[in-house]
Amino acid sequence: MDIATLGGQLLGQIPLGDIVLYLTPFNLFMFAGALIFTTLIAISRTETQVEAEFGSLNDNEVKVGLKEFKIRRFLAVVCGLATAGAMITGDVFNFTLLVALIGIVNIGIVSAVKQIDVLNAAFQYGLIAMIASLPLFGGAAIILASTGTLSILEIAQLSFTTPMMFFASVLLILGIAGETGIAPFYATKAEMFRTPGSPFILIIHLSSLLVIVRAIEILLIINKPF
Amino acid sequence: MNLMANILLNVLIAFLIGSLLFGLQRKVMARIQTRPGPPIIQHLLHTLKFFIKESSFPYTAAMPFYIAIASMLCAIWVSAVIVGPVIEGSLLLFFGIYALQKIVEHNAGSSSGSPYGKLSCVRAVFSAAAEVPLFAVLVIIYLQTQTMVISDIINYQAVNGPLIFTIPLAALMFFVLILSKSPYSPFAITKGKDIVSGYETEHFGVLRGYLMISESIAWYMLLWVFLTVFIGPLGILGYLVGMVAISVLIAFINSITPLLNPNHSIMVQITFAFIGIVGSLVLMLVM
Repeated sequence: MDIATLGGQLLGQIPLGDIVLYLTPFNLFMFAGALIFTTLIAISRTETQVEAEFGSLNDNEVKVGLKEFKIRRFLAVVCGLATAGAMITGDVFNFTLLVALIGIVNIGIVSAVKQIDVLNAAFQYGLIAMIASLPLFGGAAIILASTGTLSILEIAQLSFTTPMMFFASVLLILGIAGETGIAPFYATKAEMFRTPGSPFILIIHLSSLLVIVRAIEILLIINKPF
Repeated sequence: MNLMANILLNVLIAFLIGSLLFGLQRKVMARIQTRPGPPIIQHLLHTLKFFIKESSFPYTAAMPFYIAIASMLCAIWVSAVIVGPVIEGSLLLFFGIYALQKIVEHNAGSSSGSPYGKLSCVRAVFSAAAEVPLFAVLVIIYLQTQTMVISDIINYQAVNGPLIFTIPLAALMFFVLILSKSPYSPFAITKGKDIVSGYETEHFGVLRGYLMISESIAWYMLLWVFLTVFIGPLGILGYLVGMVAISVLIAFINSITPLLNPNHSIMVQITFAFIGIVGSLVLMLVM
């Protein structure tokens, strides 16, 4: 299978020892997009939510406190860098590692908000993310066991897909869905959208969607449909 | 043609045609509802108007995020024009662009501090949960043509005929996606009038202009991708006729259907996605 049929022409590789990054227009665009958003988050203030006060004509302003702002911004930047790494890596294990990191910092971003509903959501999301790490790394391990490599470039050269590779892909999908909190685990993250902190909410949404798009590319490379 | 000139020309065409198609859509909807309706160039004039109006920013906004996010929406759809008509690149890349656009739509709403923007933001996250499965259409196209590169898909159709006949349910899925991006659509929950203008509520002057330019380019690009990927190699006239026909058809649908509530909107879209994915796979196995 030719990687170019998915993400466009292969522009080059960056070998860093065992870690090989490869560049197609698709990977480069997603990598650049994640970095631009991360930079934006690093330099932005948070918004002030204005809500109508019940029983009077006054407004209630909800702001993010300084301590909460600092820790959430730090975690958001880490999440952005992990997302950028996941977009460009050429190794299934590195991909799963970065997705697990995204899950961990997402829990942090949510749980830094001191509101009961949000903390409950963070707890539930944390449980799902922790449980999902087993199929995530298990999937990568089975791919290594069944192909002898974790390099996406090497896997793309294989001319076959064994049932174990297919099984590993199913585990990977489960793991990615849990770590990024997409449907059907989506409800665990919904509460956090009530809180102020638009730049930090962005990175949770950004990491989920970009990881899903990258996962489609990786899964199509592992499971050669023709 | 010089690459930069090619990009500029295509972006200009996308903006102008997208704006006029929106105008046409409003005109058709008005006529169906027995109103005279605005002139067809109204959307274009409306967009240009915002560039000469005063720009003001709410004091509650997350700066500079609030300004950057509206500008980025424009940049994202210009990237889509480069990936599509200019270089005929990968559909997977187009999906990436669409994902980034959903994120921008989501955060344009939440970054202003307005409760209407915030509600639109939450609805944008909901709608992403429904629109992403609809984009599984790409995988079906890939399974059928063995490529995601647009120029190769065009060549495939030149030899094997339009994909709309071989994978019609995938075409239906993409049509539902286009429908959900049109204004006044039953699925347009992020800009429902119950939340004023949704994520655009607190954007004035130049920023609103950027958002409107992006909408026009987005409309053109979605129609371009649909026609290119499902109908095949078309000339300029073919594209124009196709875009007008789809816009008029969508105007008919929008004028006679109410805006669904968010839960119903998502469930209808997911139902279409499910039917499209399973039906297409079954059809591909049988045929």
